[in-house]
Amino acid sequence: MESETAIIIPIQPAPFSRSRQAGESQDVLDHIVDDFQDNPESMKYFYDLFRRVYCHGEELKHKGLLIGSTCIQTPEELIYAFGATPMRLCNGSYHYDQRGADFMPAKSCSLVKATLGMLNAETVIPKIGKPDMIVNPTTCDQKKKSSAMMESMGYQVYDLEFPNVKESEASRVYWQRSVRQFAARLRELTGKKLTRKNLKAAMNKTGRAQAAFRKLHSFRLKSPSLILGKDAFLVTNAYFFDDIDRWTLAVEKLNEELAQREKSGFKAVQSKAPRVLFTGSPPIFPNLKLPLLIEESGGVVVTDETCSSNRMLYDMTAVDEWLLNDMVDSLADKYLKPCTCPVFTRNDDRKRRLLDLVSSFNADGVVYQAFAGCQVYEMEYRSVADAFNKAGIPLLYVETDYSPDDKGQLSTRIEAFLESLKNRRKQRA
Amino acid sequence: MTRLESIRTAVNNVQFNRFRFWLQLFFFLLLVYSGYLGVELGKELPTFSCGYNKEGRAGMCYLMTFQYQLSWPWQKLFSAAGLVVLSGFGIFFLWFIALNKGWCGFVCPVGTIQDWITSLRRWTGIRYSRYSWGQFKWLAQIKYVLLALMFIIPLGIGAGWFNKDLKAPFCMICPGRTIIPLFTGDFSQVSLDFSTKTNLFMTSLGLTVMGLFFIGAFVKKRFFCFYCPMGAFHYLLSKPALLRLRKDGSKCTRCGDCYRVCDQEIKDIADDVNKKEIMTDDCILCMKCVAACPEKGALKATFAGIPIFESTEEGFIKRMNKGRADGK
Repeated sequence: MESETAIIIPIQPAPFSRSRQAGESQDVLDHIVDDFQDNPESMKYFYDLFRRVYCHGEELKHKGLLIGSTCIQTPEELIYAFGATPMRLCNGSYHYDQRGADFMPAKSCSLVKATLGMLNAETVIPKIGKPDMIVNPTTCDQKKKSSAMMESMGYQVYDLEFPNVKESEASRVYWQRSVRQFAARLRELTGKKLTRKNLKAAMNKTGRAQAAFRKLHSFRLKSPSLILGKDAFLVTNAYFFDDIDRWTLAVEKLNEELAQREKSGFKAVQSKAPRVLFTGSPPIFPNLKLPLLIEESGGVVVTDETCSSNRMLYDMTAVDEWLLNDMVDSLADKYLKPCTCPVFTRNDDRKRRLLDLVSSFNADGVVYQAFAGCQVYEMEYRSVADAFNKAGIPLLYVETDYSPDDKGQLSTRIEAFLESLKNRRKQRA
Repeated sequence: MTRLESIRTAVNNVQFNRFRFWLQLFFFLLLVYSGYLGVELGKELPTFSCGYNKEGRAGMCYLMTFQYQLSWPWQKLFSAAGLVVLSGFGIFFLWFIALNKGWCGFVCPVGTIQDWITSLRRWTGIRYSRYSWGQFKWLAQIKYVLLALMFIIPLGIGAGWFNKDLKAPFCMICPGRTIIPLFTGDFSQVSLDFSTKTNLFMTSLGLTVMGLFFIGAFVKKRFFCFYCPMGAFHYLLSKPALLRLRKDGSKCTRCGDCYRVCDQEIKDIADDVNKKEIMTDDCILCMKCVAACPEKGALKATFAGIPIFESTEEGFIKRMNKGRADGK
């Protein structure tokens, strides 16, 4: 029977833009672009980029081998130095989250499931090609256990050994060694040599990108805001897969526009809009559910402490002697010492970082996102809440995942939270 | 932007290592050669302006004066003549509090020579070595032992317990004595004194330290400073000093960039977020940490409470861009 109908109506392969993952991205992107006024002109680059890559499934070109990474702990400077291109694989799609559910227990992190789901899918977006190697830093348990699963899908996986403690000198030395081994592995894989010259060039790339990010970061200090958080997240999300030089240029252009906006006294939000610091599990396109809910409800995300944005690009490398050894060790230090990831035993640095961000960005409150199943963020909630309590800063803790089902409920909670922030500000004034 | 602000920005954006190189060179020439021009800054300088460089020196290292005075016979030392010792110490103290340990990081000729040896090593492309954390803690005490001996031995000579030939014992082992006179063409200190057993012992020890100094400074940045009793002496007196290194822990991300560039491997500079006065006994106040800090105002050098050099993002980015662009 089946074949008969097939003869009569031949089944066409649906174009990518009709697929579920494209639809999901399209919805979110339309929302980001069309439902807000006064989007910066230079954000068009990023809107177009996401539309082309996520909605139309366009292919992105890259240079050399493609090295996927499941975490910001992978020293991308080394990858660039070996003439390869890094790509962050962490995924934010609900479609892939469901696809990845087969690999992980029911109560596990959406991000990990979505990443596995994407890697296991036939149409992978961003469509940049099959990674020649996946670097999996041994951070949280769920990511650690993903190694073997990714391998079983036919990928070549490299476990980048990452310490659980960062204060001790022993862990620092261990991590430096680990990074050196990684460089050796890359050498084997690419057949190229790491030299002072190519590492300097690579650090130049990331250095320039970071300088651009820092500039954007400091524009967000301004009150009332010059740019919305949803756009800032989109910018840093693009860093996952975009060509780094092109990305940097686009951010520099955005910064120029923001400088113009500042001069002309432009306001992206009302002066009364509550300023929110976003922390916890990372918002990754298309899952910008929570930041978008905040900004639809009249708040503005002024800064964040997440690994899809601030933590990924903020900390810069200092080198004393520009010799290969010192440069590699300096890079290793940069990827370990300032990191505020909850996988570490202690979180004093994270708490201090959050408090500093609140005071320097003049934030009215904090929204803490924890993906259901992301145990480390869930476990850190208590201590972070205590720290904010002591400092008298309101915090909203939201446990959620990639599913859109809780949107209504969340929107009520967020509106109430923002309302309380507004009242609080009035009372203080 | 006001004029003061623009000056501040220019200072904070300075290419610090280059600035420091020229300043060190200036002080080196001043302390080692300006004696020929008749410059005389006294015998109480809180830095290794070595007295054995008889003609070129601009002034004398106080440790030399101090040890000679302490070795006076006790009847003299504890009489009215003792006031000379006290007044000398007073002058030393006044010199010292002006720059604090900045004397080590910017002025000391022995320190400068070590930095030059470091540049030589860097030029050859050989990497530097570091102590392990255990070694660091253990070795850091040596300077205090040397400082204590520097008091006890001269006092003992005065009391008649020790051989007079021990003279100023620290000078005998100080690399300044053997090396600085070389710069004015005086090779006489690089020799063994066979006149007595003590002299032979002390001069051979001095030459051994000289050898260790060259090897040590080649593999380890500021090798000698870690053991220098002058550094320990400075630290004990540093409370009222004018030049200071301050940290604002709330702005620190503990990224470790400062620790990374620290010649003296001082871990606290990165890890301690509570102390406001962050200068430790091993610190040479070279301010490289301030130049390598990307967080605005997290580290700063102040003089009499006024910030003179502050860490900024802009300055950091400029300096690192320069580093990456150099020698391409």
